Amino acid sequence: MTAAEAARKVATNPVRVLGRSTLAAVRMVGAVGVFAVRGVAAALTPPWFLSQLWRQFVAIGFFSLPVVGLTAIFTGAALALNIFTGGGRFNAEQVMPQIVALGITRELGPVLASLMLAGRVSAAIAAEIGAMRATEQIDAMRTLSTDPFRYLVGPRLLASVLMMPLLAAVADTIGVAGGWLVATRVLDFSPSIYIRNTLDFLQLWDIGSGLIKAAVFGFIVALMGCYHGYNASGGARGVGRATTHAVVSSAILIFASDYLLTTLFTHAS
Amino acid sequence: MGVVVLALAAGFLTYSLSVGGVHSKRGEYEISAKFGEAGSLSPGAAVSVAGVKVGTVSQITLEPKTFLAVAKLSIDPTVKLPTDSTAKITSDGILGGAHVSIAPGAAMDDLKPGGQIENTQGAVDLFGLIGSVIRPQGGGSDAAAAPAAPAASAPAASY
Amino acid sequence: MTDVIPKLAWKGVSKRFEGRAVLDGLDLSVAPGRSLVIIGGSGQGKSVTIKTALGLMRPDAGKIELDGKNTVTLSEGARRKLFSRVGVLFQGAALFDSLTIWENVAFRLINADGVPRKEARERAIEALEQVRLSPDVADRFPSELSGGMQKRAGLARAVVAQPEILFFDEPTTGLDPITAAAINELISHQVRRLGSTAVSITHDLASAQTIGDEIAMLHGGKIIWRGPAAELRTTDNPYVRQFVEGRAEGPISHAV
Repeated sequence: MTAAEAARKVATNPVRVLGRSTLAAVRMVGAVGVFAVRGVAAALTPPWFLSQLWRQFVAIGFFSLPVVGLTAIFTGAALALNIFTGGGRFNAEQVMPQIVALGITRELGPVLASLMLAGRVSAAIAAEIGAMRATEQIDAMRTLSTDPFRYLVGPRLLASVLMMPLLAAVADTIGVAGGWLVATRVLDFSPSIYIRNTLDFLQLWDIGSGLIKAAVFGFIVALMGCYHGYNASGGARGVGRATTHAVVSSAILIFASDYLLTTLFTHAS
Repeated sequence: MGVVVLALAAGFLTYSLSVGGVHSKRGEYEISAKFGEAGSLSPGAAVSVAGVKVGTVSQITLEPKTFLAVAKLSIDPTVKLPTDSTAKITSDGILGGAHVSIAPGAAMDDLKPGGQIENTQGAVDLFGLIGSVIRPQGGGSDAAAAPAAPAASAPAASY
Repeated sequence: MTDVIPKLAWKGVSKRFEGRAVLDGLDLSVAPGRSLVIIGGSGQGKSVTIKTALGLMRPDAGKIELDGKNTVTLSEGARRKLFSRVGVLFQGAALFDSLTIWENVAFRLINADGVPRKEARERAIEALEQVRLSPDVADRFPSELSGGMQKRAGLARAVVAQPEILFFDEPTTGLDPITAAAINELISHQVRRLGSTAVSITHDLASAQTIGDEIAMLHGGKIIWRGPAAELRTTDNPYVRQFVEGRAEGPISHAV
């Protein structure tokens, strides 16, 4: 066989391919880890760029409210209908408010709010920082004696970790409201009894565990956006790739950590 | 837009807390009542007099020696109840939520905080009643009704 | 003869990208207060030369000396101090899209030097005047400005803190001849006004001769010619000749 054929045979050897992908994956985990440590250090130590932090609070927190609200109300309503149906099979329809509240505060509120933000915020961060990378703005910032980690990454990480639990709390409230609306308008529940049953049943840890999850997811969303944007290469296509990678990796990490945290919290309570 | 969402959330939250009102300490006083059967009564259920809500059930516990269900009732401070009032566990409809209905007595003295309603009537086991009508003790009913009775009482048992 | 310590020197600098040696033992130095222009074909490593000097890229081998001290191994904190002595005009101006022009120009002052916003704004508007931009540009955003105006704003940003060394990365690329001439004039005026040392890269020969005291040609990862600006057109070096005359045929083969 020719030299080219031999080279191709070597390159596509399954063991080599496996080895190379594994090494690439490990390298990526390491790179993300290093990036995360630098970002957290920048977020937690002075000097801080408070105006940038405030802008991120507004961008990540306030402007995500409509999306979170819409997600929550429809999810809460649909969930109520489904749990009612399921409860009906045990003649336990009356327990629907409690189950719906539990499902929303522990799981759906934080997870769905975070997924919507993974799409919205992670993509926006990756695109913005990626575009800055592509137009040499990040290099320019360094030459202006300003650490891009302190100016760009830190504020986004901090804002996301702080805003996400607040958004989850809003999602919890509106989600329960959605269930309540369906229950009282369509399923003939008594408005006040629905709410009383919900409030009595919910434990602080149901809500609290959901908010802790939200904080973790917030970190993931901002980290993936910043990491992929910061390392974008190759002009406009690179920015597009960075955006996609940010959203997908955020979503996957949210699901994975959700399972881990849920297991942890179930054993803890 | 974000302001709208925040307003809606805040609105619903305020509404919930006012309706729920279980843990708001607005000077309510507590009395208790012991029942032979609590049924599906749960904390947060309403306490009413003549159909008007005057308080809420704050706690239901089991008294270990007598095996009676002790319900703590949180009553509006402006409502005074005579010492010989009767407390009954009833429900809005066949499948409605259980609550406590108090029929006031005629005594001169009123119940003080920490007092106890002596006359009580526990929750009625509706399905048990239906079952005992359909299949009175000792048999004599037709075969079709007999399977219906155990089926009717089975969901009640699962509560 | 007393040797003046060069303001900036590359010593044996090498850098490889994906197996290709972009810089291969580069030796170059600039005396204080002088303006050096680096010319060369596209993709020959001119940008990499500036980026290694700035520390934005790490060379695989060699030393970068600022006032005689090696800067390659500096920590991030020490490097930030180094940056305070430097001003850079990037190829696309690299203005920050989300900030107004004056906030861009005053970026270093506000964020690194702790200058209060009011004072920073005044200094920014002064700097904008130096580059012939009127004060009403100050509150506009970069996307509202033409390419030429963006470059001028970038230049203002580079000079506002009176740096010791200025770097210009393709300052006139993409500009029409008239705007390019204006930028060239502004650059040489600023360099003379500040007395800074300047390093520029360009493939625009008119620009090179206007802003440079000396010109060096980069080819194959090395400096193959260096001389005063006036000698650019009169030298015998065949590579320079081909470049200057703009011939496709010659010792420079476009391999890439």
